[in-house]
Amino acid sequence: MMSDKMKKDPRLPDETFEPFEETRRIPLPVYWIAIALAIWGVFMLVETSHSTQVADKARAQLDKQEQTKTAQVSAPDPAAGKALFSDNCATCHGDAGEGVAGAFPPLHGSDVVKLGGAQAVTEIVMRGIGGPLNVNGESYDGEMPAFGSVLSDKEISEIASYVATGLNDGTKTISASEVADIRKVSGDMDPWNGGAELAGLINGLPAQPDAKTPAAKGPDAKLVAQLVNEGTDTVWSCASCHGEKGEGLETVPRLAGLPAAYLVKQLHDFQKGARFNDSMAYVAKGLSDREIIDLANYYAGMSSPSGATPSLQGDLKRGAQLAKEGDWSIGVPACFTCHGPSGIGVAPEFPGIAAQQPSYVAHQLAMWAGGARHNSPLGLMAGISKALSDADRRSVADYLASLPPVPGSKPADMVAMTTSASAAKESSNDQ
Amino acid sequence: MNRYLPLAITALAILAMATLFLVIAPGMQIGAQGPSPGLNPYTEAEARGRDVYVSMGCLYCHSQQPRSIAQAPDAERGWGRASVAGDYAYDNPHQLGTMRTGPDLMDIGDRLPSQGWQLTHLYQPRAISSWSIMPAYPYLFEHKDKADPGDVVVKLPPAYAPKTGVIVAKQDALDLVTYLQGMKRQYAPPADGLRDDGYALIAAEQQKQTDAAKASN
Ligand code: HEC
Ligand code: HEC
Ligand code: HEC
Repeated sequence: MMSDKMKKDPRLPDETFEPFEETRRIPLPVYWIAIALAIWGVFMLVETSHSTQVADKARAQLDKQEQTKTAQVSAPDPAAGKALFSDNCATCHGDAGEGVAGAFPPLHGSDVVKLGGAQAVTEIVMRGIGGPLNVNGESYDGEMPAFGSVLSDKEISEIASYVATGLNDGTKTISASEVADIRKVSGDMDPWNGGAELAGLINGLPAQPDAKTPAAKGPDAKLVAQLVNEGTDTVWSCASCHGEKGEGLETVPRLAGLPAAYLVKQLHDFQKGARFNDSMAYVAKGLSDREIIDLANYYAGMSSPSGATPSLQGDLKRGAQLAKEGDWSIGVPACFTCHGPSGIGVAPEFPGIAAQQPSYVAHQLAMWAGGARHNSPLGLMAGISKALSDADRRSVADYLASLPPVPGSKPADMVAMTTSASAAKESSNDQ
Repeated sequence: MNRYLPLAITALAILAMATLFLVIAPGMQIGAQGPSPGLNPYTEAEARGRDVYVSMGCLYCHSQQPRSIAQAPDAERGWGRASVAGDYAYDNPHQLGTMRTGPDLMDIGDRLPSQGWQLTHLYQPRAISSWSIMPAYPYLFEHKDKADPGDVVVKLPPAYAPKTGVIVAKQDALDLVTYLQGMKRQYAPPADGLRDDGYALIAAEQQKQTDAAKASN
């Protein structure tokens, strides 16, 4: 009724009216935007698939590295041998194997190589060698790291063949499968104990000095083994984090072969809070001075294979450059000037950094750069770390992880109770 | 409103597109991958430990997805290499997580392999790090006068040790720690493994190309 009435009133709008709009053309700009969006979408799809391709390439490379480590190809390639020699041996033995008087014996014209051939070189490279040794009538008493855990059978065969036939006038090379046989027998053995032990391997080797007998195990050997493997009521065992052989993992450092005095200082610094790490502060606070010294000597004397592999996607070439030559454009000296040839360390102050875990090294360098680790003598590492870029830190860490491990220290470099008490005092004076 | 049908069809089509590209296609891609070579299925104890991990809601504070170097310094922190799809093949439900109130745990077994450390830390995180905000889980442990044979005693500093007796781990705590110790993802990732590497890799590649071009000029 109402509506009828109102409908009749012409001043009021018609209630049944449906609003209606003619279809209009969609404005052109809308088409443009839609087309542009579609093109952008396709472009991004291609771009991002490119991203996974790049990563695929990087990973394929990782895989290849893994494979070449185990690959078994016979016939050693002399050119590859020369390149491997300059990468792995030349830092100590010289580019032409000429050696360094009094420190590193020659390989060119060496009677050891001449008499023992590629076979003996393989044995020495596989296990490393330390202790008194006569080469061409000169006496040496150094440490050479074991390359068994960082070079493949093929690589060792190429190096040994190059040393025997390229640097010397031998004719016999050694194949990768022969190297594999040697690895099976002696891959896990301790380094050769100087010339005396070598004389058993090489027939007709000229007279060699007596080998040093390894320091007799102290009366505390059992207590140390207990600390290392089982811990105490309050402290976890060292091996549960640092590994059975002190080789470390990820951010847990390798301890095997680091100078005893350095290890003692670090443990005291964790104890006093001069170096920060909650887990290690807890451990160190639970140890007595005596235990710290025994443990330091135990780890310092340990020779164990490398547990590190490059894993930070660093640029190994750049890493090698920083380690061997440094980079003066950013004011960084070669790491090896302080940390010793091939990074094996110089007791007592400069710890070995070869075969150290890459995550640990990169993390420590970042901590020095940020000031979180500041217990180092003279702040030497802080300045260096600050100059390195993020990528440089990863590169050098990865390169160090590719090196043969630090050999165990000599008995002479061990810490005795009395000297370390004064060392501890000295280090507290640093603060 | 008089074109219900076309509207409904359009809405469904959009939904179907999204499902196809965000669920079905990736599902097929990942399904074809299988577990990463090097990854082992969980042992029984690890599987039980994983259930404890899920029920305790560790996921709300811990992620399990280390990012690539291009995106975050996770590898330098020791959190492991960037994960790929195949690394989660045995995880159902996965524990990717989105929060990093605590550190990523994908590679914890490599970084902190010590059973002793893990037990102390679960019993009382403050015994190790005074600043830690992680909750303590005392109910995973038992206070006993004397440890029975086969019991695992938790190592504690005097400040947190009970006045008498010892703290031993219950089975749940042991399983959980076994699970954490098994979280090792250091094996080489499969070369065709799926993962998001972000844009920085492209930038690095382009930089390399321009550097090479400069060097050859
Ligand atoms: C860190 C330095 C260092 C590196 C790197 C190194 N060596 Fe040695 N090498 C030594 C020292 C030191 C000795 C002597 C050891 C001794 O006094 O007992 C030695 C001894 C030897 C000997 C026996 C003595 C001789 O001169 O014939 C051979 C062979 C040898 N090294 C080969 C190699 C080869 C091959 C490589 C590369 C894979 C290599 N070394 C890398 C330091 C090194
Ligand atoms: C819970 C795991 C854990 C246990 C157990 C442990 N460590 Fe460590 N340790 C670490 C970590 C992680 C670091 C690296 C600290 C840092 O980042 O500064 C470290 C560092 C060290 C360092 C310094 C090394 C260097 O190169 O500067 C020494 C020395 C050391 N530990 C000795 C020991 C000894 C000895 C024991 C046994 C009594 C032990 N640790 C038990 C985790 C552990
Ligand atoms: C000027 C001498 C010097 C140079 C050059 C040097 N270092 Fe060091 N580095 C030291 C000293 C000294 C320490 C021991 C610090 C301490 O006692 O706290 C050290 C310690 C380290 C450590 C810690 C080892 C450990 O076990 O915790 C790392 C890693 C390291 N250096 C890496 C490097 C790298 C990488 C380079 C080259 C880019 C380098 N260093 C160059 C003097 C040097």
